[in-house]
Amino acid sequence: MNWTWFHRFGSAPYMYGFAQRWTPWFGSAALLLMLIALYGGLVLAPPDYQQKDAFRIVYVHAPSATLSLLIYTTMAVTAAVGLIWRMKVAHAAAAACAPIGAWFTVATLITGSLWGKPMWGTYWAWDPRLTSELVLLFLYFGYMGLRAAIEDPQKADKASAVLAIVGIVNVPIIKYSVNWWNSLHQPATRLLGKADMDWSMVWPLLTMFLAFMLFFGAVLLIRLRAELLRRERGASWVREVLS
Amino acid sequence: MSEFFAMSGYGKYLWPSFAIGFGIVALNLVLALRALSDAKQQAKRRLEMSP
Repeated sequence: MNWTWFHRFGSAPYMYGFAQRWTPWFGSAALLLMLIALYGGLVLAPPDYQQKDAFRIVYVHAPSATLSLLIYTTMAVTAAVGLIWRMKVAHAAAAACAPIGAWFTVATLITGSLWGKPMWGTYWAWDPRLTSELVLLFLYFGYMGLRAAIEDPQKADKASAVLAIVGIVNVPIIKYSVNWWNSLHQPATRLLGKADMDWSMVWPLLTMFLAFMLFFGAVLLIRLRAELLRRERGASWVREVLS
Repeated sequence: MSEFFAMSGYGKYLWPSFAIGFGIVALNLVLALRALSDAKQQAKRRLEMSP
């Protein structure tokens, strides 16, 4: 197998240029798909037979929740790559993931509680799904706090990578909490094949998932550039990029 | 139109959740762009100090 691409992504100037080129594409595709999904979800999709129009909160809640887990997984994987191959760019990517993931976890918790009130009669319950998602937020805070507390960047990279990798255990706990324990939260909805929802409700949701993922890609690439500049301030490539 | 905004009586939960959700989306973009511009300025300052 040819690993040239892997080594190329390990080079800070290459990655900076790559991020610069791809951000507008990811960003504009995300915006376009978000608008299409919003129209599909708010206008075209019919009301649910049980939840009526309240079900439409799914179009912001489910993509945020999926991102909160996907971003944590990306953070843990890039941190592991950084630790194993001593790749600075991977550590920078992990550091760039953390604030984005924390924000989407906040969005998940707030939109979920606004959905919970009319459906369950309460904004919050110490339920396995809700509690494990709150733990995810604390893991993001812990990761960012640990990085901020250690002055030496290399030591900060290593310590925070270990925390990110250990914390990954919470991801399957969140995902399967609704199956393993008695939960107020509904189990995962099948969207494809023998779907639990009508296609007119499913396609805007799938579109919104894709839009959120592309948006994460765009914001990650912007934050990665910032992270690379901070780490390599004195490097000659930074002079070339900024001149 | 008012029927659309009422969302069969769930508007008071639905619209705040969309406002907060997409507000956080927009905030993420603003914060990332600000982080990049701060990093650029810091790097420029550093380069000016060591020509």
